[in-house]
Amino acid sequence: MPYEWLPPEGGEDRLQLWPHRSLSQRGFVWFIGATATLIALPLIGLLGNPILWALLPFLLGAIWAIWFALRKNGRDRDILEVLHLGPDRLQLVRLGPKGLRQEWEANPYWVEATLHETGGPVPNYLTLKGDGRAVELGAFLSEEERVALADDLRSRLGRPR
Amino acid sequence: MADAAIHGHDEHHRPGFFTRWFMSTNHKDIGILYLFVGGLVGLISVIFTLYMRMELMHPGVQYMCQEGARFVASADVCTPNGHLWNVMITYHGVLMMFFVVIPALFGGFGNYFMPLQIGAPDMAFPRMNNLSFWLYVAGTSLGVASMLAPGGGGDLGPGAGVGWVLYPPLTTTAEGGYAMDLAIFAVHLSGASSILGAINMITTFLNMRAPGMTLHKVPLFGWSIFVTAWLILLALPVLAGAITMLLTDRNFGTTFFTPSGGGDPVLYQHILWFFGHPEVYIIIIPAFGIISQVIATFARKPIFGYLPMVYAMVAIGVLGFVVWAHHMYTAGMSLTQQSYFMLATMVIAVPTGVKIFSWIATIWGGSVEFKTPMLWAFGFLFLFTVGGVTGIVLSQAPVDRAYHDTYYVVAHFHYVMSLGAVFGIFAGVYFWIGKMSGRQYPEWAGKLHFWMMFIGSNLTFFPQHFLGRQGMPRRYIDYPEAFAYWNWWSSIGAFLAFSSFVFFIGIVFYTLMWGRRVTENNYWNEYADTLEWTLPSPPPEHTFEQLPKREDWDRSHAH
Repeated sequence: MPYEWLPPEGGEDRLQLWPHRSLSQRGFVWFIGATATLIALPLIGLLGNPILWALLPFLLGAIWAIWFALRKNGRDRDILEVLHLGPDRLQLVRLGPKGLRQEWEANPYWVEATLHETGGPVPNYLTLKGDGRAVELGAFLSEEERVALADDLRSRLGRPR
Repeated sequence: MADAAIHGHDEHHRPGFFTRWFMSTNHKDIGILYLFVGGLVGLISVIFTLYMRMELMHPGVQYMCQEGARFVASADVCTPNGHLWNVMITYHGVLMMFFVVIPALFGGFGNYFMPLQIGAPDMAFPRMNNLSFWLYVAGTSLGVASMLAPGGGGDLGPGAGVGWVLYPPLTTTAEGGYAMDLAIFAVHLSGASSILGAINMITTFLNMRAPGMTLHKVPLFGWSIFVTAWLILLALPVLAGAITMLLTDRNFGTTFFTPSGGGDPVLYQHILWFFGHPEVYIIIIPAFGIISQVIATFARKPIFGYLPMVYAMVAIGVLGFVVWAHHMYTAGMSLTQQSYFMLATMVIAVPTGVKIFSWIATIWGGSVEFKTPMLWAFGFLFLFTVGGVTGIVLSQAPVDRAYHDTYYVVAHFHYVMSLGAVFGIFAGVYFWIGKMSGRQYPEWAGKLHFWMMFIGSNLTFFPQHFLGRQGMPRRYIDYPEAFAYWNWWSSIGAFLAFSSFVFFIGIVFYTLMWGRRVTENNYWNEYADTLEWTLPSPPPEHTFEQLPKREDWDRSHAH
């Protein structure tokens, strides 16, 4: 599940959400390791031959290129949404790629969590409205996850009321 | 904070014709572009073979004359033009290897269906995808330009006549003119295009699979594209390095492969085949993926032994990197080296056997529907097995002494590549054309195409085994009377196969213009259970912007 309620801290519930990513760090290391090993095979026969130096830049270039591509794609989806829910404060922080940070705060008593079945960029689009502004939450989650999260949030928001 | 975007989300703007097809970043459109350009280059390349089979139909040289290339028989004097012949075999090989089969299977079907099967909205780098396609077009243009540029033939005509393997010293010192340089650049661009494409596919496959779709749940076609991309990433840089050295040997006075300066031409052969053998699997593995999907659909059974099928592809890929010198038994190697390459080569028969038997086991006891794609899959199974068995024969170093550079080799690799991979392409076209275009082909026409091609291609290549056993060497414009009988049959087969290809072009255009409209998402049956079958035919411009639901792809009976 790319969202998780962390143990409460200082009387505040904490929620983290992130986009699904199918490649783990371990998987990345395995893939690059296997690629580098296999691509080095032709070099064994070329040890001591000047052709090795002519070939090497191409092979290193290939390893660098796939490394860069996997990392770049990872960085571009490096989004973390953190929600703090206390009795009198609801804060949402969104950390995006390239150090982008967006924040929103409102009093949870007045905050409204709405699930828009249609009309949003994705079906069952989840928004939070408060302090004169509507913000999105977990637009990158799957539809079922947003529906489950909306129920969960509504019940938690209902507690102080 | 990301402000909510409610009611601000209109339908996507539809691009105009030029923007859609010339500036496309959409994986489905780029896939279609690859298929069409691949088909066009394929036609050019097949026309060369037709001309060659015309020439070989009878002993003596009748058409490729120094007095001018002829297309109808004539009683005038004809001095053989060996250069023209060499140019034909070279560009047939180069175009087929680099500009037809890989772009169609990997670029075309891979681009279109791999992201759909894993539930990704597009490729990881859509603009790089566009760059890959146009590099491929530029490479093709350079290849064709090379054929028309002055080469080593002098007055005999343009083009480089060196064979697709580009062996030195023929390519470095013997072949003058810039046709050779242009051909090297063409292969460079094609390599760059394939490497960028491979990086894109790998990143998409590894990083963008739908939630829950672990590596052991990805459909077999998706897996085949991933393994192919990986092989391209490992093998193509080696080729790029090798041909760059050819280029500097030719133009800048280096002597990497020139013995007079301390270089070694045999080393080029090693490097070339370190790329060249995996290249064979790069060509055939996507066809494995297509055949798996087709057989499971029309046998109405989930594929037998999903995991062994996946690991057989990986094993074939990995083993493909350690067997290269079986192409060079006669180039001078120690007995120990030959024994190793012989044994390693035979080991590949094990994962290949796993695949063949798993396909048969899938069909076994299934409720087989003989629709056109299934016919092509059956054809593939038979022909690929024949090519595989002659491959085992050729892997024997002692036997290869007799068969090396004979028509037996020509028959072998055309059975695996021309018939294996090409039957895979046709299976894919008939399987998915309704999905891609929203219109279905006429079933009778597809079947007629299959039988013409099946009979034609077998008639072309099966007799070449006999010619090889009789000792007819490959790459010659003429042959003695003794080889006439089977050469005549082989040419008749080639004419039949070519007419089936022309018929196929007709089928495609008929289908796109007037074919029956497809209204269902899944017009085959419930065993076509990958994600593309949950989408309308043709799919909308943007797909899976919303992550797919697990129940859409994870069926209880699957895998």
